[in-house]
Amino acid sequence: MIHFEHVSYGYGKTSTIQDVSFHIQKGEFVSIVGANGAGKTTLSKLCNGLLKPASGMVTIHGQNTQNTKTSLLARTVGFLFQNPDRQICQNTVYDEIRFGLECVLNDPIEVDRRCTETLDQFAFDGERDPFSMSRGERQQIALASLVACKPQVLILDEPTTGLDYQECMHMMKIICELNEKGTTIFMVSHDMELVADFARRVLVIREGKLIGDGETRAVLTNRALLDQASVLPPQIPTLAHQLGTGFEAVFTLNEMADIVEGRGQ
Amino acid sequence: MGGFLDYVPGDSWLHRLNPLTKIMISLVLCVACFLSANHILILIIIGINLCMGALSGTMNRSLRILEVLSKLAIILFIVQILFIRDGNILLQLPFNILITDAGLSFSLLFCLRFIAATMPLVLMLSVTQMSDLTNVLVSKLGIPYKYTFVLTTAIRFIPIFSAEMTNIMEAQIARGVDFDTRNFFKKIRLLLPLCVPLLISSVKRIDSGAIAAELRGFNLRKRNSGYRQYPFKKKDLLALLFSVVLIVVATQVPAFI
Repeated sequence: MIHFEHVSYGYGKTSTIQDVSFHIQKGEFVSIVGANGAGKTTLSKLCNGLLKPASGMVTIHGQNTQNTKTSLLARTVGFLFQNPDRQICQNTVYDEIRFGLECVLNDPIEVDRRCTETLDQFAFDGERDPFSMSRGERQQIALASLVACKPQVLILDEPTTGLDYQECMHMMKIICELNEKGTTIFMVSHDMELVADFARRVLVIREGKLIGDGETRAVLTNRALLDQASVLPPQIPTLAHQLGTGFEAVFTLNEMADIVEGRGQ
Repeated sequence: MGGFLDYVPGDSWLHRLNPLTKIMISLVLCVACFLSANHILILIIIGINLCMGALSGTMNRSLRILEVLSKLAIILFIVQILFIRDGNILLQLPFNILITDAGLSFSLLFCLRFIAATMPLVLMLSVTQMSDLTNVLVSKLGIPYKYTFVLTTAIRFIPIFSAEMTNIMEAQIARGVDFDTRNFFKKIRLLLPLCVPLLISSVKRIDSGAIAAELRGFNLRKRNSGYRQYPFKKKDLLALLFSVVLIVVATQVPAFI
Protein backbone atom coordinates (compact mmCIF):
# COMPACT_ATOMS: atom_id res chain seq x y z
CA MET A 1 0.00 0.00 0.00
CA ILE A 2 2.66 2.52 1.13
CA HIS A 3 6.22 1.92 -0.03
CA PHE A 4 9.21 4.04 1.00
CA GLU A 5 12.40 3.19 -0.88
CA HIS A 6 15.56 4.93 0.41
CA VAL A 7 13.70 8.20 0.87
CA SER A 8 15.56 11.35 1.89
CA TYR A 9 14.17 14.84 2.30
CA GLY A 10 15.51 18.13 3.63
CA TYR A 11 14.33 21.67 4.38
CA GLY A 12 16.96 23.90 2.77
CA LYS A 13 20.36 22.47 3.70
CA THR A 14 19.05 20.56 6.71
CA SER A 15 18.41 16.89 6.07
CA THR A 16 15.19 15.95 7.85
CA ILE A 17 14.64 12.43 6.53
CA GLN A 18 17.62 10.25 5.73
CA ASP A 19 17.48 7.04 3.69
CA VAL A 20 14.20 5.76 5.11
CA SER A 21 12.71 2.52 3.74
CA PHE A 22 9.61 0.64 4.89
CA HIS A 23 6.48 -0.98 3.50
CA ILE A 24 2.97 -0.81 4.91
CA GLN A 25 0.43 -3.40 3.79
CA LYS A 26 -3.29 -2.82 3.28
CA GLY A 27 -5.28 -2.84 6.52
CA GLU A 28 -2.32 -2.30 8.85
CA PHE A 29 -2.50 0.09 11.84
CA VAL A 30 0.95 1.64 12.03
CA SER A 31 2.10 4.32 14.42
CA ILE A 32 5.24 6.40 14.19
CA VAL A 33 6.92 7.65 17.35
CA GLY A 34 9.91 9.88 18.02
CA ALA A 35 10.98 13.05 19.79
CA ASN A 36 9.95 16.54 18.65
CA GLY A 37 11.75 17.46 15.42
CA ALA A 38 12.63 13.83 14.66
CA GLY A 39 10.82 14.03 11.31
CA LYS A 40 7.47 12.35 12.05
CA THR A 41 5.27 15.01 10.41
CA THR A 42 7.67 15.31 7.47
CA LEU A 43 7.42 11.55 6.97
CA SER A 44 3.62 11.68 7.09
CA LYS A 45 3.54 14.54 4.56
CA LEU A 46 5.78 12.48 2.25
CA CYS A 47 3.10 9.76 2.41
CA ASN A 48 0.46 11.85 0.65
CA GLY A 49 2.69 13.83 -1.68
CA LEU A 50 2.48 17.16 0.17
CA LEU A 51 6.27 16.85 0.24
CA LYS A 52 8.18 15.20 -2.58
CA PRO A 53 11.29 13.16 -1.73
CA ALA A 54 14.66 14.70 -2.62
CA SER A 55 15.90 11.19 -3.36
CA GLY A 56 14.36 7.74 -3.25
CA MET A 57 10.77 6.89 -4.07
CA VAL A 58 7.41 6.90 -2.31
CA THR A 59 4.57 4.94 -3.86
CA ILE A 60 0.99 4.85 -2.60
CA HIS A 61 -1.22 2.13 -4.03
CA GLY A 62 1.19 1.91 -6.96
CA GLN A 63 1.23 5.67 -7.64
CA ASN A 64 4.60 7.41 -7.40
CA THR A 65 4.07 10.57 -5.31
CA GLN A 66 6.87 12.33 -7.22
CA ASN A 67 4.81 12.64 -10.38
CA THR A 68 1.27 12.52 -8.99
CA LYS A 69 -0.58 15.60 -7.79
CA THR A 70 -1.45 15.59 -4.08
CA SER A 71 -5.02 16.55 -4.99
CA LEU A 72 -5.24 13.34 -7.06
CA LEU A 73 -3.67 11.24 -4.30
CA ALA A 74 -6.39 12.63 -1.99
CA ARG A 75 -8.78 10.09 -3.58
CA THR A 76 -6.65 7.34 -2.05
CA VAL A 77 -5.07 9.03 0.99
CA GLY A 78 -6.89 11.07 3.64
CA PHE A 79 -4.80 13.30 5.91
CA LEU A 80 -6.11 14.44 9.27
CA PHE A 81 -4.12 17.44 10.52
CA GLN A 82 -3.38 18.14 14.17
CA ASN A 83 -5.28 21.43 13.98
CA PRO A 84 -8.80 20.95 12.52
CA ASP A 85 -9.21 24.72 12.09
CA ARG A 86 -6.87 24.62 9.10
CA GLN A 87 -9.20 22.26 7.33
CA ILE A 88 -12.66 23.56 8.22
CA CYS A 89 -13.69 26.35 5.87
CA GLN A 90 -17.48 26.09 5.47
CA ASN A 91 -20.31 27.54 7.51
CA THR A 92 -22.25 24.35 8.22
CA VAL A 93 -21.20 20.80 9.04
CA TYR A 94 -23.08 19.55 5.96
CA ASP A 95 -21.26 22.00 3.63
CA GLU A 96 -17.93 21.10 5.21
CA ILE A 97 -18.39 17.40 4.50
CA ARG A 98 -19.75 18.20 1.04
CA PHE A 99 -16.77 20.48 0.20
CA GLY A 100 -14.26 17.63 0.54
CA LEU A 101 -16.48 15.19 -1.33
CA GLU A 102 -16.99 17.55 -4.27
CA CYS A 103 -13.21 17.70 -4.72
CA VAL A 104 -12.92 13.96 -5.28
CA LEU A 105 -16.33 12.99 -6.70
CA ASN A 106 -18.17 14.26 -9.78
CA ASP A 107 -21.54 12.60 -9.10
CA PRO A 108 -23.85 15.04 -7.19
CA ILE A 109 -26.29 12.28 -6.19
CA GLU A 110 -23.47 10.18 -4.73
CA VAL A 111 -22.08 13.30 -2.97
CA ASP A 112 -25.48 13.90 -1.33
CA ARG A 113 -25.85 10.25 -0.37
CA ARG A 114 -22.40 10.11 1.24
CA CYS A 115 -22.98 13.42 3.09
CA THR A 116 -26.17 12.05 4.66
CA GLU A 117 -24.50 8.71 5.41
CA THR A 118 -21.54 10.41 7.14
CA LEU A 119 -23.78 12.74 9.15
CA ASP A 120 -25.67 9.68 10.40
CA GLN A 121 -22.47 7.76 11.13
CA PHE A 122 -21.05 10.60 13.25
CA ALA A 123 -24.46 11.67 14.64
CA PHE A 124 -23.92 15.31 13.57
CA ASP A 125 -26.56 17.96 12.98
CA GLY A 126 -25.70 19.09 9.45
CA GLU A 127 -26.99 22.62 9.99
CA ARG A 128 -24.67 23.42 12.91
CA ASP A 129 -21.89 25.97 12.57
CA PRO A 130 -18.56 24.09 12.96
CA PHE A 131 -16.81 27.17 14.37
CA SER A 132 -19.18 27.29 17.35
CA MET A 133 -18.46 23.65 18.25
CA SER A 134 -15.87 22.34 20.74
CA ARG A 135 -12.32 21.46 19.72
CA GLY A 136 -13.12 17.74 19.99
CA GLU A 137 -16.21 18.11 17.80
CA ARG A 138 -14.28 20.13 15.21
CA GLN A 139 -11.64 17.38 15.10
CA GLN A 140 -14.43 14.87 14.49
CA ILE A 141 -15.87 17.03 11.69
CA ALA A 142 -12.43 17.10 10.07
CA LEU A 143 -12.27 13.31 10.36
CA ALA A 144 -15.86 12.96 9.09
CA SER A 145 -15.11 14.95 5.95
CA LEU A 146 -12.19 12.59 5.25
CA VAL A 147 -14.16 9.44 6.05
CA ALA A 148 -16.91 10.56 3.64
CA CYS A 149 -14.37 10.30 0.80
CA LYS A 150 -13.67 6.66 1.75
CA PRO A 151 -9.87 6.82 1.45
CA GLN A 152 -7.90 3.59 1.43
CA VAL A 153 -5.20 5.11 3.62
CA LEU A 154 -5.78 7.47 6.52
CA ILE A 155 -2.84 9.49 7.84
CA LEU A 156 -3.42 10.95 11.29
CA ASP A 157 -1.06 13.64 12.57
CA GLU A 158 -1.50 13.77 16.36
CA PRO A 159 -5.26 13.15 16.04
CA THR A 160 -6.04 13.37 19.76
CA THR A 161 -4.10 16.52 20.71
CA GLY A 162 -6.31 18.85 22.75
CA LEU A 163 -9.07 16.26 23.22
CA ASP A 164 -10.30 15.06 26.61
CA TYR A 165 -10.33 11.34 27.44
CA GLN A 166 -13.91 10.78 26.27
CA GLU A 167 -13.41 12.66 22.98
CA CYS A 168 -10.12 10.82 22.46
CA MET A 169 -11.72 7.40 22.95
CA HIS A 170 -14.63 8.31 20.66
CA MET A 171 -12.20 9.41 17.97
CA MET A 172 -10.11 6.23 18.33
CA LYS A 173 -13.26 4.05 18.23
CA ILE A 174 -14.16 5.53 14.83
CA ILE A 175 -10.59 5.07 13.59
CA CYS A 176 -10.51 1.43 14.76
CA GLU A 177 -13.82 0.72 13.02
CA LEU A 178 -12.39 2.12 9.79
CA ASN A 179 -9.28 -0.01 10.24
CA GLU A 180 -11.41 -3.15 10.80
CA LYS A 181 -13.19 -2.39 7.51
CA GLY A 182 -9.80 -2.40 5.73
CA THR A 183 -8.60 1.21 5.86
CA THR A 184 -4.85 1.44 6.38
CA ILE A 185 -4.01 3.71 9.31
CA PHE A 186 -0.74 5.61 9.67
CA MET A 187 -0.75 7.55 12.92
CA VAL A 188 1.78 10.07 14.23
CA SER A 189 1.49 10.32 18.00
CA HIS A 190 3.31 11.42 21.13
CA ASP A 191 0.84 9.58 23.32
CA MET A 192 2.54 6.26 24.06
CA GLU A 193 -0.51 4.88 25.89
CA LEU A 194 -2.59 5.49 22.77
CA VAL A 195 0.04 3.84 20.57
CA ALA A 196 0.28 0.86 22.93
CA ASP A 197 -3.51 0.45 23.01
CA PHE A 198 -4.33 0.80 19.32
CA ALA A 199 -1.35 0.41 16.95
CA ARG A 200 -0.30 -3.05 15.80
CA ARG A 201 3.03 -1.93 14.39
CA VAL A 202 5.35 0.87 15.47
CA LEU A 203 8.05 2.74 13.58
CA VAL A 204 10.65 4.60 15.65
CA ILE A 205 12.37 7.63 14.16
CA ARG A 206 15.33 9.59 15.45
CA GLU A 207 16.90 12.61 13.71
CA GLY A 208 15.30 11.60 10.41
CA LYS A 209 16.51 7.99 10.53
CA LEU A 210 14.29 4.98 11.02
CA ILE A 211 15.85 3.18 13.97
CA GLY A 212 13.07 0.73 14.84
CA ASP A 213 10.24 -1.06 13.08
CA GLY A 214 8.26 -3.91 14.54
CA GLU A 215 5.23 -5.27 16.34
CA THR A 216 3.96 -2.81 19.00
CA ARG A 217 4.76 -4.98 22.04
CA ALA A 218 8.28 -5.75 20.83
CA VAL A 219 9.09 -2.09 20.09
CA LEU A 220 7.53 -0.51 23.17
CA THR A 221 9.26 -2.93 25.56
CA ASN A 222 12.64 -2.32 23.93
CA ARG A 223 13.90 0.27 26.42
CA ALA A 224 17.27 0.76 24.72
CA LEU A 225 15.54 1.63 21.44
CA LEU A 226 13.07 4.02 23.09
CA ASP A 227 15.88 5.69 25.09
CA GLN A 228 17.79 6.18 21.87
CA ALA A 229 14.73 7.88 20.34
CA SER A 230 14.12 9.95 23.53
CA VAL A 231 10.67 8.42 23.86
CA LEU A 232 9.11 7.57 27.22
CA PRO A 233 7.71 4.00 27.25
CA PRO A 234 4.07 3.42 28.30
CA GLN A 235 3.42 3.19 32.04
CA ILE A 236 2.65 -0.55 32.39
CA PRO A 237 5.85 -1.80 30.68
CA THR A 238 7.80 0.80 32.72
CA LEU A 239 6.27 -0.45 35.96
CA ALA A 240 6.90 -4.07 34.89
CA HIS A 241 10.53 -3.21 34.21
CA GLN A 242 10.90 -1.67 37.68
CA LEU A 243 9.25 -4.67 39.36
CA GLY A 244 11.86 -6.92 37.71
CA THR A 245 11.84 -10.74 37.63
CA GLY A 246 8.54 -12.30 36.72
CA PHE A 247 7.14 -9.14 35.16
CA GLU A 248 9.34 -9.00 32.02
CA ALA A 249 6.56 -10.08 29.65
CA VAL A 250 3.90 -7.73 31.04
CA PHE A 251 2.61 -5.15 28.57
CA THR A 252 -1.05 -4.50 29.26
CA LEU A 253 -3.03 -3.58 32.37
CA ASN A 254 -4.89 -6.91 32.28
CA GLU A 255 -1.63 -8.88 32.15
CA MET A 256 -0.33 -6.90 35.14
CA ALA A 257 -3.56 -7.48 37.07
CA ASP A 258 -3.41 -11.23 36.35
CA ILE A 259 0.18 -11.56 37.62
CA VAL A 260 -0.41 -9.44 40.73
CA GLU A 261 -3.59 -11.37 41.47
CA GLY A 262 -1.75 -14.71 40.98
CA ARG A 263 1.02 -13.66 43.38
CA GLY A 264 -1.49 -12.47 45.98
CA GLN A 265 -3.11 -15.86 46.03
CA MET B 1 14.31 29.75 4.72
CA GLY B 2 13.46 32.95 6.56
CA GLY B 3 10.82 35.40 5.36
CA PHE B 4 11.66 38.66 3.59
CA LEU B 5 10.90 40.72 6.68
CA ASP B 6 12.82 38.65 9.25
CA TYR B 7 15.81 40.16 11.05
CA VAL B 8 19.17 38.89 9.79
CA PRO B 9 21.63 38.83 12.73
CA GLY B 10 24.94 40.55 12.03
CA ASP B 11 27.50 43.07 13.19
CA SER B 12 27.97 45.16 10.05
CA TRP B 13 28.15 48.99 10.10
CA LEU B 14 24.53 49.06 8.93
CA HIS B 15 23.48 46.82 11.83
CA ARG B 16 25.30 49.11 14.26
CA LEU B 17 23.64 52.33 13.07
CA ASN B 18 21.06 53.95 15.30
CA PRO B 19 17.65 52.42 14.40
CA LEU B 20 16.26 55.93 13.86
CA THR B 21 19.04 56.63 11.35
CA LYS B 22 18.14 53.43 9.51
CA ILE B 23 14.48 54.49 9.36
CA MET B 24 15.55 57.91 8.10
CA ILE B 25 17.83 56.47 5.37
CA SER B 26 15.15 54.09 4.14
CA LEU B 27 12.56 56.88 4.05
CA VAL B 28 14.96 59.24 2.30
CA LEU B 29 15.73 56.62 -0.35
CA CYS B 30 11.97 56.15 -0.89
CA VAL B 31 11.28 59.87 -1.07
CA ALA B 32 14.25 60.46 -3.42
CA CYS B 33 12.72 57.97 -5.87
CA PHE B 34 9.53 60.01 -6.04
CA LEU B 35 11.23 63.43 -6.11
CA SER B 36 13.28 62.51 -9.15
CA ALA B 37 11.99 61.55 -12.56
CA ASN B 38 15.45 60.55 -13.72
CA HIS B 39 15.70 56.87 -14.59
CA ILE B 40 19.46 56.76 -14.10
CA LEU B 41 19.28 58.28 -10.61
CA ILE B 42 16.67 55.68 -9.61
CA LEU B 43 18.87 52.93 -11.02
CA ILE B 44 21.70 54.36 -8.90
CA ILE B 45 19.41 54.19 -5.84
CA ILE B 46 18.74 50.50 -6.60
CA GLY B 47 22.53 50.09 -6.87
CA ILE B 48 22.96 51.83 -3.46
CA ASN B 49 20.43 49.39 -1.99
CA LEU B 50 22.36 46.42 -3.36
CA CYS B 51 25.67 47.85 -2.07
CA MET B 52 24.14 48.30 1.39
CA GLY B 53 22.80 44.74 1.18
CA ALA B 54 26.28 43.47 0.32
CA LEU B 55 27.93 45.49 3.11
CA SER B 56 25.40 44.30 5.70
CA GLY B 57 25.72 40.63 4.75
CA THR B 58 22.19 40.43 3.34
CA MET B 59 23.12 40.31 -0.35
CA ASN B 60 21.32 37.04 -1.01
CA ARG B 61 18.11 38.42 0.42
CA SER B 62 18.53 41.71 -1.49
CA LEU B 63 18.90 39.77 -4.75
CA ARG B 64 15.87 37.62 -3.92
CA ILE B 65 13.81 40.75 -3.21
CA LEU B 66 15.04 42.31 -6.43
CA GLU B 67 13.96 39.18 -8.31
CA VAL B 68 10.47 39.13 -6.73
CA LEU B 69 9.96 42.87 -7.21
CA SER B 70 11.17 42.67 -10.81
CA LYS B 71 8.54 40.01 -11.58
CA LEU B 72 5.81 42.22 -10.10
CA ALA B 73 7.26 45.24 -11.90
CA ILE B 74 6.95 43.45 -15.25
CA ILE B 75 3.20 43.00 -14.64
CA LEU B 76 2.86 46.67 -13.62
CA PHE B 77 4.87 47.71 -16.69
CA ILE B 78 2.57 45.83 -19.06
CA VAL B 79 -0.57 47.26 -17.43
CA GLN B 80 0.83 50.81 -17.43
CA ILE B 81 2.13 50.84 -20.99
CA LEU B 82 -1.19 49.65 -22.41
CA PHE B 83 -3.19 52.47 -20.83
CA ILE B 84 -0.99 55.54 -21.44
CA ARG B 85 -1.88 57.11 -24.79
CA ASP B 86 0.09 60.40 -24.57
CA GLY B 87 3.27 61.05 -26.59
CA ASN B 88 4.49 59.81 -29.97
CA ILE B 89 3.13 56.51 -31.17
CA LEU B 90 5.82 53.82 -31.44
CA LEU B 91 3.56 50.85 -32.10
CA GLN B 92 -0.11 50.35 -32.84
CA LEU B 93 -1.65 47.09 -31.61
CA PRO B 94 -5.06 45.53 -32.32
CA PHE B 95 -8.11 46.92 -30.41
CA ASN B 96 -6.64 50.44 -30.80
CA ILE B 97 -3.98 49.84 -28.15
CA LEU B 98 -1.08 52.27 -28.54
CA ILE B 99 2.48 52.00 -27.35
CA THR B 100 3.90 55.53 -27.02
CA ASP B 101 7.31 56.90 -26.06
CA ALA B 102 5.81 58.76 -23.08
CA GLY B 103 4.03 55.58 -21.99
CA LEU B 104 7.25 53.60 -22.30
CA SER B 105 9.21 56.17 -20.30
CA PHE B 106 6.60 56.59 -17.57
CA SER B 107 6.00 52.82 -17.22
CA LEU B 108 9.73 52.23 -16.89
CA LEU B 109 10.02 55.03 -14.32
CA PHE B 110 7.03 53.67 -12.42
CA CYS B 111 8.55 50.18 -12.23
CA LEU B 112 11.99 51.46 -11.23
CA ARG B 113 10.40 53.60 -8.51
CA PHE B 114 8.42 50.60 -7.28
CA ILE B 115 11.60 48.52 -6.93
CA ALA B 116 13.82 51.31 -5.57
CA ALA B 117 11.28 52.47 -2.99
CA THR B 118 10.46 48.99 -1.65
CA MET B 119 14.01 47.65 -1.30
CA PRO B 120 15.25 50.07 1.42
CA LEU B 121 12.25 49.32 3.67
CA VAL B 122 12.92 45.58 3.47
CA LEU B 123 16.64 46.18 3.99
CA MET B 124 15.92 48.34 7.05
CA LEU B 125 13.79 45.55 8.58
CA SER B 126 16.51 42.99 7.76
CA VAL B 127 19.14 44.86 9.78
CA THR B 128 16.99 46.17 12.64
CA GLN B 129 15.50 44.15 15.47
CA MET B 130 11.78 44.80 15.97
CA SER B 131 12.36 45.58 19.66
CA ASP B 132 14.95 48.25 18.76
CA LEU B 133 12.57 49.72 16.20
CA THR B 134 9.78 49.95 18.76
CA ASN B 135 12.04 51.32 21.51
CA VAL B 136 13.58 54.02 19.38
CA LEU B 137 10.20 55.20 18.06
CA VAL B 138 8.96 55.47 21.65
CA SER B 139 12.04 56.96 23.30
CA LYS B 140 13.30 59.29 20.55
CA LEU B 141 10.12 60.28 18.70
CA GLY B 142 7.74 60.05 21.66
CA ILE B 143 5.21 57.92 19.78
CA PRO B 144 2.97 56.11 22.31
CA TYR B 145 4.06 52.50 22.78
CA LYS B 146 0.58 51.24 21.80
CA TYR B 147 0.94 52.60 18.28
CA THR B 148 4.51 51.39 17.73
CA PHE B 149 3.47 47.99 19.06
CA VAL B 150 0.65 47.88 16.51
CA LEU B 151 3.10 48.71 13.71
CA THR B 152 5.76 46.20 14.70
CA THR B 153 3.20 43.49 15.46
CA ALA B 154 1.62 43.98 12.03
CA ILE B 155 5.04 43.55 10.40
CA ARG B 156 5.90 40.59 12.62
CA PHE B 157 2.61 38.86 11.80
CA ILE B 158 3.10 38.96 8.01
CA PRO B 159 5.40 35.87 7.87
CA ILE B 160 3.28 34.14 10.54
CA PHE B 161 0.10 34.59 8.53
CA SER B 162 1.92 33.61 5.36
CA ALA B 163 3.02 30.34 7.03
CA GLU B 164 -0.52 29.81 8.33
CA MET B 165 -1.95 30.30 4.83
CA THR B 166 0.56 27.76 3.48
CA ASN B 167 -0.57 25.26 6.13
CA ILE B 168 -4.25 25.90 5.35
CA MET B 169 -3.60 25.43 1.64
CA GLU B 170 -1.73 22.20 2.38
CA ALA B 171 -4.71 20.97 4.41
CA GLN B 172 -7.04 21.73 1.50
CA ILE B 173 -4.74 20.16 -1.11
CA ALA B 174 -4.65 17.03 1.06
CA ARG B 175 -8.47 16.97 0.80
CA GLY B 176 -8.30 17.06 -2.98
CA VAL B 177 -8.58 20.79 -3.74
CA ASP B 178 -6.60 21.46 -6.91
CA PHE B 179 -5.13 24.97 -6.79
CA ASP B 180 -3.13 24.36 -9.97
CA THR B 181 -6.09 25.26 -12.18
CA ARG B 182 -5.43 27.85 -14.90
CA ASN B 183 -9.00 29.11 -14.68
CA PHE B 184 -8.65 32.40 -12.75
CA PHE B 185 -12.28 32.47 -11.57
CA LYS B 186 -12.14 28.85 -10.41
CA LYS B 187 -8.96 29.61 -8.51
CA ILE B 188 -10.61 32.58 -6.78
CA ARG B 189 -13.62 30.39 -5.95
CA LEU B 190 -11.27 27.83 -4.38
CA LEU B 191 -9.20 30.39 -2.48
CA LEU B 192 -12.07 32.45 -1.04
CA PRO B 193 -13.27 29.84 1.48
CA LEU B 194 -9.70 29.69 2.86
CA CYS B 195 -10.12 33.23 4.19
CA VAL B 196 -12.42 31.76 6.85
CA PRO B 197 -9.85 29.52 8.61
CA LEU B 198 -7.16 32.20 8.14
CA LEU B 199 -9.35 34.89 9.68
CA ILE B 200 -10.36 32.65 12.57
CA SER B 201 -6.80 31.59 13.39
CA SER B 202 -5.62 35.24 13.08
CA VAL B 203 -8.30 36.55 15.43
CA LYS B 204 -7.58 33.76 17.92
CA ARG B 205 -3.83 34.43 17.78
CA ILE B 206 -4.25 38.20 18.19
CA ASP B 207 -6.75 37.73 21.00
CA SER B 208 -4.47 35.41 22.96
CA GLY B 209 -1.51 37.73 22.26
CA ALA B 210 -3.47 40.72 23.58
CA ILE B 211 -4.44 38.85 26.76
CA ALA B 212 -0.82 37.75 27.30
CA ALA B 213 0.39 41.36 26.81
CA GLU B 214 -2.22 42.71 29.25
CA LEU B 215 -1.19 40.14 31.85
CA ARG B 216 2.42 41.26 31.51
CA GLY B 217 1.55 44.90 32.23
CA PHE B 218 1.32 46.20 28.67
CA ASN B 219 -0.55 49.37 29.68
CA LEU B 220 1.98 50.26 32.38
CA ARG B 221 4.71 50.86 29.82
CA LYS B 222 5.85 54.47 29.49
CA ARG B 223 8.26 56.44 27.31
CA ASN B 224 11.22 55.73 29.61
CA SER B 225 10.36 52.08 30.31
CA GLY B 226 12.94 50.74 27.82
CA TYR B 227 16.37 50.23 29.40
CA ARG B 228 18.35 50.37 26.14
CA GLN B 229 19.90 53.67 25.05
CA TYR B 230 20.21 54.67 21.41
CA PRO B 231 22.83 57.44 21.22
CA PHE B 232 23.64 59.11 17.88
CA LYS B 233 27.28 58.59 16.82
CA LYS B 234 29.50 60.04 14.13
CA LYS B 235 28.54 57.34 11.61
CA ASP B 236 24.86 58.21 12.15
CA LEU B 237 25.56 61.85 11.31
CA LEU B 238 27.50 60.80 8.20
CA ALA B 239 24.58 58.61 7.11
CA LEU B 240 22.12 61.46 7.65
CA LEU B 241 24.41 63.81 5.70
CA PHE B 242 24.39 61.32 2.83
CA SER B 243 20.59 61.30 3.00
CA VAL B 244 20.42 65.10 2.74
CA VAL B 245 22.80 65.06 -0.25
CA LEU B 246 20.67 62.43 -1.95
CA ILE B 247 17.50 64.45 -1.46
CA VAL B 248 19.18 67.55 -2.90
CA VAL B 249 20.52 65.62 -5.90
CA ALA B 250 17.07 64.07 -6.47
CA THR B 251 15.44 67.49 -6.62
CA GLN B 252 18.14 68.99 -8.86
CA VAL B 253 18.74 66.26 -11.44
CA PRO B 254 16.52 66.83 -14.49
CA ALA B 255 14.09 64.23 -15.77
CA PHE B 256 15.51 61.66 -18.19
CA ILE B 257 13.07 62.46 -20.99
